[in-house]
Amino acid sequence: MAVNLHASTNGANGTANDDFTVKAGLAQMLKGGVIMDVTSAAEARIAEEAGAVAVMALERIPSDIRKMGGVARMSNPKMIQEIQAAVTIPVMAKARIGHVVECQILEALDVDYIDESEVLTPADDKYHVQKSDFKIPFVCGCRNLGEALRRIKEGAAMIRTKGEAGTGDIVEAVKHIRTVNAEIAQAKAALAADGDLGIAALAREIGCDAALLKQTAELGRLPVVNFAAGGVATPADAALMMHLGCDGVFVGSGIFKDAETPEHAARRARAIVKATTQYTDKKALIEASIEHGEAMKGISNAGLKPEEKMAGRGW
Amino acid sequence: MTRTITVGVLALQGGVVEHINLLRKASTHINSSESLQFEFLQVRTTTELGECDALIIPGGESTTMAIVARRLGLLDPLREFVKVQHKPVWGTCAGLVMLAEQAAATKQGGQELVGGLDVRVLRNRYGTQMQSFVAGLDLEFLGRGEVPFKAVFIRAPIVEEIIAEGSSSQGIENGVERAARVEVLGVYRGQGQQQVEGGENGEKGDIVAVRQGNVFGTSFHPELTDDVRIHVWWLRQVVDATWHGKLVAANGS
Repeated sequence: MAVNLHASTNGANGTANDDFTVKAGLAQMLKGGVIMDVTSAAEARIAEEAGAVAVMALERIPSDIRKMGGVARMSNPKMIQEIQAAVTIPVMAKARIGHVVECQILEALDVDYIDESEVLTPADDKYHVQKSDFKIPFVCGCRNLGEALRRIKEGAAMIRTKGEAGTGDIVEAVKHIRTVNAEIAQAKAALAADGDLGIAALAREIGCDAALLKQTAELGRLPVVNFAAGGVATPADAALMMHLGCDGVFVGSGIFKDAETPEHAARRARAIVKATTQYTDKKALIEASIEHGEAMKGISNAGLKPEEKMAGRGW
Repeated sequence: MTRTITVGVLALQGGVVEHINLLRKASTHINSSESLQFEFLQVRTTTELGECDALIIPGGESTTMAIVARRLGLLDPLREFVKVQHKPVWGTCAGLVMLAEQAAATKQGGQELVGGLDVRVLRNRYGTQMQSFVAGLDLEFLGRGEVPFKAVFIRAPIVEEIIAEGSSSQGIENGVERAARVEVLGVYRGQGQQQVEGGENGEKGDIVAVRQGNVFGTSFHPELTDDVRIHVWWLRQVVDATWHGKLVAANGS
């Protein structure tokens, strides 16, 4: 995968490409893996032992954020530090959309990746964070290709679908990866038919940088790693997202929500790792589904009011 | 007559296609008087491993790779591939960790390794992602006077110590052949970090590339660059080992 973006995309100095290689490179090393939301050092250890490639440290899993309501913010640094001390795999943490200072705090905490996330309550109704200003890499959510490329233009080194976090309903994540895939096909067709003019017209239509759109059309995929997120609740869900072309999977509430015991959570975690790494092996998927046991109860996306949806946050 | 050499990339997780893309590019640089073809294969099963003449263990998360390899029953076949069959293997970053006989700073309870290199690696030597970096390395094995190799270090391990040689039983079973030495092929000096002893002439720096017999390891990720030089060099080693009889001699003597 080519990840060398134009120097103008990320920072202004001569080493901008090297910086971006290092940022996007970590995401490339996570491919084929599962990143799990954890709320304590003990949960982080369960994730690590199950084979997670990274953990996302946050105070409440998305389904509980949804249930509790109120304003969701960056997690307490103390909790993040405890998780960092407990595991040797990369630790990610979430900042609110547009909250530059939360990002500065997380960078100073030495986390490995920041998720500028719609799961938290947005802090800025106009701008996302200018991510190329930071040394730490960022992952951001998207619902379509234009949104993905706007985030990459701002400096995101990894993309994920938004899905609908905390529901355990995979339908929105599927919609988002299908939309991205369809629009990439459209970009390829535009480039083939009308060259740069075709790309410029499509870039105007979907609201993104033309050079990045052209690069995407040439590669036939996003220029950075693209994970699934938002609603993955079972091994079959994880395998479905891999089948649709995602590079790996974030599991938010699906591991620890409604788990009867830590051992049940550990089994679920192992099962989702197995399904992700062996997503084409049907026998493995049967085994993983049995090991996984009862999934989180979940909330149907169709029953959510528009204001209850997190995916609409950001632009 | 055309001879095919099959090179696998262990595809449990991590930077797999990056290696395959660069191997493809590198293979066009191998000139051979005899007709030679390369086949590149993603390896997830023992059967696929069995088809390989040589293997790359890519970057990724070594804890994850070890857990997944254990569950797939691949650890013992990998050990057999490296330590009994002595087929050429190259590990980058997490792959270097997997190929070490010992690893420090592992998760609680430690992690399983394939082994093959009589070294102890130190995981995450430079710290978290904030300490990841790109640095030019002078690698003499690529030839004197070559421009520095742009090495990408991502939460990289280093070789902390070369341990008592022979524990990985490089050479043949009955002890006729002596264990191959661990050669230091790359040292990173710089950034004012803690310096460790390394190199042939007692040079100071972190050991970031080593070879012992047919086992090669690098701390950094050549597959994240467009620079084919190390891949070309390694493919030549693979050709030597699998085709020109070095391996056969070792097994047959």
